Amino acid sequence: MSDAYTTARARLARRKAAAPWILMLPALIIVLIFFGLPTAYMARMSFNLHEGAKLYTPGFTFDHYINLFSNEVFTTAIWTTVKLSLMASVVTVIIGYAFALLVWLKPARWRLLFVGLALCPLLISEIAIIFGWWMFFPKNGLLSFALMSSGLITDKISLMYTEFAAFVGLVYVTLPFCFFILLSILDGMDKRMLEAGADLGASPLVTFREVLLPLTRTGLLVAFSQSFIWTMGTYATPSALGPDTLWTMGFLIQEQMLGRSNWPLASALSMVLVVGVAVVITFTRSLSAKRTTLHV
Amino acid sequence: MSDALIRRSLEPTIFRVLTLAFSVFIVAYILIPILVTLVMSFNDATQIRFPIKVWSLKWYGDFFASPQWTEALFNSFTIAIGTALIATTSGVLAAWAFERYDFPLKSLLYVLIMMPLFMPGVVLGLGVAIAFGGVEIAGVDLYGSRGLVMIAHSLWAMPLVFMLMEATFRTIDNRVVEAAQDLGAPPVRTFFEVVIPMVSTGIISSVLFAFVISLNEFVMALFLTDRDTQTLPVLMWLSLRSAGTPRLAVASVILACTVFLCLTLIMLWYIRQLRKVAR
Amino acid sequence: MTTPALHLDRVRRVYGPVVAVDDVSLSVAKGEFVTLLGPSGSGKTSTLRLVGGFDQLDGGSIAINGERIDHLPAYQRDTATIFQSGALFPHKTVAENVAFGLRMRKVGTSEIADRVRQYLDIVRLGGFADRYPAQLSGGQKQRVALARSLAVRPAILLFDEPLSALDLSLRLQLRAEIKSLHDQLKFSAIYVTHDQGEAMAMSSRVAVMRNGAIEQIDTPTRIFHDPASEFVYTFIGESCCLRVNNAAQSLDLTLETPLLGEARLYVRPSRLRLGPDAASLPNRLKARVKFVEFLGDTNRYHLQAGDADLFADHAGEMSLAPGATVDLGWLTADMRVFR
Repeated sequence: MSDAYTTARARLARRKAAAPWILMLPALIIVLIFFGLPTAYMARMSFNLHEGAKLYTPGFTFDHYINLFSNEVFTTAIWTTVKLSLMASVVTVIIGYAFALLVWLKPARWRLLFVGLALCPLLISEIAIIFGWWMFFPKNGLLSFALMSSGLITDKISLMYTEFAAFVGLVYVTLPFCFFILLSILDGMDKRMLEAGADLGASPLVTFREVLLPLTRTGLLVAFSQSFIWTMGTYATPSALGPDTLWTMGFLIQEQMLGRSNWPLASALSMVLVVGVAVVITFTRSLSAKRTTLHV
Repeated sequence: MSDALIRRSLEPTIFRVLTLAFSVFIVAYILIPILVTLVMSFNDATQIRFPIKVWSLKWYGDFFASPQWTEALFNSFTIAIGTALIATTSGVLAAWAFERYDFPLKSLLYVLIMMPLFMPGVVLGLGVAIAFGGVEIAGVDLYGSRGLVMIAHSLWAMPLVFMLMEATFRTIDNRVVEAAQDLGAPPVRTFFEVVIPMVSTGIISSVLFAFVISLNEFVMALFLTDRDTQTLPVLMWLSLRSAGTPRLAVASVILACTVFLCLTLIMLWYIRQLRKVAR
Repeated sequence: MTTPALHLDRVRRVYGPVVAVDDVSLSVAKGEFVTLLGPSGSGKTSTLRLVGGFDQLDGGSIAINGERIDHLPAYQRDTATIFQSGALFPHKTVAENVAFGLRMRKVGTSEIADRVRQYLDIVRLGGFADRYPAQLSGGQKQRVALARSLAVRPAILLFDEPLSALDLSLRLQLRAEIKSLHDQLKFSAIYVTHDQGEAMAMSSRVAVMRNGAIEQIDTPTRIFHDPASEFVYTFIGESCCLRVNNAAQSLDLTLETPLLGEARLYVRPSRLRLGPDAASLPNRLKARVKFVEFLGDTNRYHLQAGDADLFADHAGEMSLAPGATVDLGWLTADMRVFR
């Protein structure tokens, strides 16, 4: 008699324990089968051989990794990527910080306008943005035309396919991420702190250095690593706007995969990128362990 | 002494000028590529060239007359709708599990679900391409199919939905959920009749954000589509590499307009809900 | 003997090292209104949640109308809870809220409409059917919650501190309404509260809980006049305490029957007589006036006797300035001694 109730109760408890797994099933299928499995597959693929025109030959070799870190083409590419990403991230963080400060300090009625503005690069397709800059920089583009009409230059100029153009495009795409991360952190702070600083006779610069900067340091690092991750992985913007010599990791992966049909090498490059991203994420998480929001 | 005084009186002025200059810079920076594209889409000429001499809607007509471009637009919409459905369903359910239940490995699973969001599109696209390149299901090649692109796009869209819905679910009063069960509604019915309507703004936002992400994405799509299934951004990318024409500007404008339409819908729904529920 | 509406038999719930509900046994007869009264952490809400099915028991059994239900999930139990906040469905109108439970019980459409109207009239919200909860006041929300629970005609109603979020005047008004509804509809109910006033005013029986167990269960009058323990006595009403110790008696105290050994002597402040009235009473104490509070109908005199702080309520005028000495007196029947 009481056994029947015990089993019924146990069944209820079991059903309750199973419920979250049933609910998570679709998400777990997507993540495990379409992200976990490919990553594992890629990890294995990166040790395969590449011979002749075949996509890959099963085997086991460290050649591709050794190649990555010894072949000048790849070391240069990795170095270029890291350098470009670092520079772009630093500039993005500086502009994003200034932008966030501007929105934070301006009266509330400007806020919606600026936030809407910052949303634009986030909501518009990267390809449309690339195309926008693609029409701005070349000889017959808007920049050249505007400078000519204003009389600043006499001959048409082109900034297209320069590192500068790639740089402008990269910063543009990452800017909103930085902006929103930093704005959310500034929003958590009390504006009167600045007034207190000013009351004590500190100039804006001193207030900034002594009060604002230390309080937003974590946010800055999070914003920086976010843009770094993003710029490391992207390939469209730099390869479309930059010079042919600007080979980023993303571009190389694409090139090895689609152009050279060298799957093992493309996989090895991807693994390096994945590990890099994982390291940066772990670093960011440990930094912001006490903050609840590091999300974009 | 007087030097310091001058500095103190000058500083606010300098500060104000700098603020103004920066405001102008940031507004110009963000608007330039958008305005250039918008203006160019009304150009009559075949080449991208400033200044624009003749204005017309010629390229809009051209866009909709081209089967290749309209088909790409159709593909984009199909894939974006599919992604929105897949990502929203899976993300909402997973977020509900995280909000409502306790289970082992919770924080590890959280990281696992969020991870793909931080991965570069190149890596995700490549991974899915090589892992499912030769896979056939019921005689249909998985590679190049719209379904595979939908799922690949969900790798970005789903964690985003998950994050958004987790925050949304946290705002609802658990006692309202208990009240529903208490009055005789089984869990599934409670979820659909009580929980979902309470978070409708979050759900609508999730659907539309997932839609927008998929609509705009082109790196994964580039790796995973073939000629028949290629999306509008992929086609734009490929034709940008060959030669840019104002047709590309038209495509950009159409993409952007769709996105802003979605945003408007979210806003309208939000206002509607605000009127009804929160006073 | 008829089957009780609700029967709890040695119900137990343990959270880690804490025994939240410690072998609680309780019967609620049909039409009875039983209150679980206790301070926070006494296990009253935990007990209610076990009955509602929001939590699973670790031991014992629960039966409704003689049938065991502790193995059933919340939605299969014939209970209806009125929550503290009302917990109305924010996106449903008042009428839809009330209809919800009926729809879940597969009641016919026309009957649903009738019952919704009937119960909204009962809680005097007939004109509010199409409003949304956000457009209602706190008291109105709570009345909708009541109608929503009553409409399904559950075997037992569960009240989870439904009035504690409201302000005082509204609380008094709603408590009277719930009482008259109970007189009218004769529903069976368990009512959880930490407010002894509510418990005394509404209940057929009161169960005073402490540390997860029922300390005493009885009618309000019996609980008030014949408390089983010192805890019950002090929890259900105001009291003055005198520590009596024969060895070192610093009090000017006269008792009808002297106490032996150490003891704590309690009197309700309303039963203490002051000044000339005290002289004729069998138990007397001299105390010093500390200060006087004006409470409207009465004055409250805060007094000191030895190291004990006392207070007594007295209607009528009396010229007692702080510092004055005054006589206190009480009947032996009004006094309670715990050792």
